[in-house]
Amino acid sequence: MSDNTSHSSSPKQVEGVGVGTHVHVAHEEHVHERSFIRKYIFSTDHKVIGIQYGITALLFLLFGFTLMMIMRWQLAYPGEPFPLKWLAALIGSENMPDGIMLPEFYNQLGAMHGTIMVFLGVVPLAVGAFGNYIVPLQIGAPDMAFPKLNMMSYWFYFLGGVTMLVSFFLPGGAANSGWTSYAPLAVIATTGQTAWLIGMVFLITSSLLGSVNFITTIIQLRAHGMTFMRLPFFVWAQFVTSFLLLLAFPPLEAAGIMQLMDRVAGTSFFIPSGLVVSGQPLPYTGGGSPLLWQHLFWFLAHPEVYVLILPAMGIVAEIIANNTRKPLWGYKSLVYAAVFLGFMSFAVWAHHMFMTGMGTVISSFFQTTTMIISIPSIIILTAFFLSLWGASIRFTTPMLFALAFLPMFGIGGLTGLPLGLAPPDIHLHDTYYVIGHFHYVVAPGTLMALFAGIYYWYPKVTGRKMSDLLGKIHFWGSFVFLNGVFMPMFIQGLAGVSRRLYDGGAQYAHAQGVLQWNEFMSVSAWLLGLAQIPFIINFFWSMKKGKKVEENVWQATTLEWAATTSPPLAHGNFARIPEVYRGPYEYSVPGAPTDYLPQNERA
Amino acid sequence: MNKTLGIVLSLLVAGQVLAGDVAGKVVFEGTAPKAAVLRMDADKVCKAAHKEPQRSEEVVVNANGTLKNVLVYVKDGLGNRKFDPPAKKVTFDQIGCIYVPHVVGIQTGQELEVINSDPTLHNVHSLSKENPQFNVAQPKKGMKLTKKFEKPEVFKVKCEVHTWMGAYIGVFNHPFYAVTGDDGTFTLPKLPAGEYTIEAWHEKYGTQTGKVKVDAAGKATLDFKFAAK
Repeated sequence: MSDNTSHSSSPKQVEGVGVGTHVHVAHEEHVHERSFIRKYIFSTDHKVIGIQYGITALLFLLFGFTLMMIMRWQLAYPGEPFPLKWLAALIGSENMPDGIMLPEFYNQLGAMHGTIMVFLGVVPLAVGAFGNYIVPLQIGAPDMAFPKLNMMSYWFYFLGGVTMLVSFFLPGGAANSGWTSYAPLAVIATTGQTAWLIGMVFLITSSLLGSVNFITTIIQLRAHGMTFMRLPFFVWAQFVTSFLLLLAFPPLEAAGIMQLMDRVAGTSFFIPSGLVVSGQPLPYTGGGSPLLWQHLFWFLAHPEVYVLILPAMGIVAEIIANNTRKPLWGYKSLVYAAVFLGFMSFAVWAHHMFMTGMGTVISSFFQTTTMIISIPSIIILTAFFLSLWGASIRFTTPMLFALAFLPMFGIGGLTGLPLGLAPPDIHLHDTYYVIGHFHYVVAPGTLMALFAGIYYWYPKVTGRKMSDLLGKIHFWGSFVFLNGVFMPMFIQGLAGVSRRLYDGGAQYAHAQGVLQWNEFMSVSAWLLGLAQIPFIINFFWSMKKGKKVEENVWQATTLEWAATTSPPLAHGNFARIPEVYRGPYEYSVPGAPTDYLPQNERA
Repeated sequence: MNKTLGIVLSLLVAGQVLAGDVAGKVVFEGTAPKAAVLRMDADKVCKAAHKEPQRSEEVVVNANGTLKNVLVYVKDGLGNRKFDPPAKKVTFDQIGCIYVPHVVGIQTGQELEVINSDPTLHNVHSLSKENPQFNVAQPKKGMKLTKKFEKPEVFKVKCEVHTWMGAYIGVFNHPFYAVTGDDGTFTLPKLPAGEYTIEAWHEKYGTQTGKVKVDAAGKATLDFKFAAK
């Protein structure tokens, strides 16, 4: 099962790999020199690939965030010349003549902000980076099950990202039909949409390769004694996430290719016959269905929400248990809730489509399933809150971010309930309320958890801790300004202001009473940008100057901290594959000599 | 050397002499349809720009019974002659949410300057078939956009924000075209001597063709007639 490519040239390196096998990895004597390219570029080591994913995804997050900061200028001051003249010149007069943003360019920014943040930023960071680096370490595996597939997964992701970036330079610019690429608009859009579809095919291929690898690794490469109910919750979260990616992405890959064919090969999967656009009849006669695209897109994109949120919950679980010094409350309930969440996430997609006129019976079905899926989310969130009860909480930087995740995700989740019911959705659909809702889930929610994970596992990767002072400045700035950006969106949305308006609603009479929030949100967004500077400094500064830490700096119970060095050994992770004797969160066990009992410590 | 120069100059002069104007008018027969009033209530900027209600320019019959906004051009007879595009730009404006002019001709390679003189958003969407379509917004007053066309055709331009806004652009690979104005007349100046097919195009009434011979005397007349439908 295991393709020990990273060790393959030296058969003695890994004497045996498998469940329940003691593995001797004789590192020192067998570490052979690899070229720089094989070691750092085309590496098959899950840790290097995890870091590659992490750095690439962070750069894309920064880029996607920058697109949003540019958009926010236009929303706050529609039609005013952009103040950073050099940036306007760089963007070009075809997009910003005399620094004034054209609506077409705003549409590009909107579509690409969404695409980049979801598919190139958050998911690759949550799954590609954290999953790759941490999962094998937490289950006591020497690597992923298929190291070459792992490498291929990263490079498909990279290719997808480059395709998306290059599309900005095509005639007509990047894709501009929203991150959802609804037909028929997307089918007749400018060339950038073709690049978007090709990029998505690369990204989906990357995800599929990754998910197969994660599932196999978690099932097959657990260390002896690491039963499913001893898996850290983070691993469970990644496990369920991988199934979502594996089962939900193929329909979108098919749909992406079908839309591509509609654009370049004259098929009409998504274009109805006799469609007239701008007074011109289009040359499509195949009788396609625009709604089919929406079904296929949301069949992925709703599970995708849980792809974004489950790894975040996994990270928060680890950090809460560690910083409360208590077992995670209701571990089994958490696991069952996560699995149920995974199943249910395949049966709610059409709640994004209540306004398509799909009929009351099917609408009732999806309203019901949507209400049901909120139950496991609430179980998970409640278990996290209860874990805090009576704890002597260590308010470390990662813990601050993890704590902030709880109410932020709570707001995101609860504001989703009215959208899951068709009657209020009539008013709220496609308004800023929707933007506020899903950003609370993804930005103050998932991103806070991802930052928590970065601060928590940074010492594991580098052997050094990030500065607490800079970390706390980063936390408070991010926490305050994220809310400054997204909270007013609910106000605007309730007033009926539509999303995707390039002037933020300035032309609409019903928006006039809430327009002043645009400036407030934009200033908050730019301050949020400033608040990331301490993080960027901290991230690089700590690599060289951060405080060196002992191997298990957080006194954690899970294997990645307890059973290996920080950073872990380059080949095979562990000097000796650990054996597991206990559950993942045995903190403050009465009678124990320390307040934590690592999973690999004999009973 | 001097002899060669003399021949070239003689030919050039002869070329000028052996060229003439084709002039005429486009007559309208029958009862002119009543032009629809343009309802601009959707955009207060558009509405405020006019004291009087504006009417569609689809069919404009002049007081002298001629038809306005007819594009008249040489359809055939120029052979393989090539004509450099003029350096002067053709202006195509949006004033009070109406395209000015309603019909305009331009030569291949010549620059079209699209101006937004309104303090509101317009998008300029070309429905061209031979040339690449464009659809560009001009959100601010005073914004300008320059376009060139490489292939001859007549196509519509419209604004999706203001659905009543429509105009036509005729692209030609020669300079022999004209648009009838308030007197319904046209002139195709300095057409080299020869026989030509001249076409008159109207957005509602379609096309009509006529033959004309331009001789060394340098003058020819051709009238067109469109009947009400």
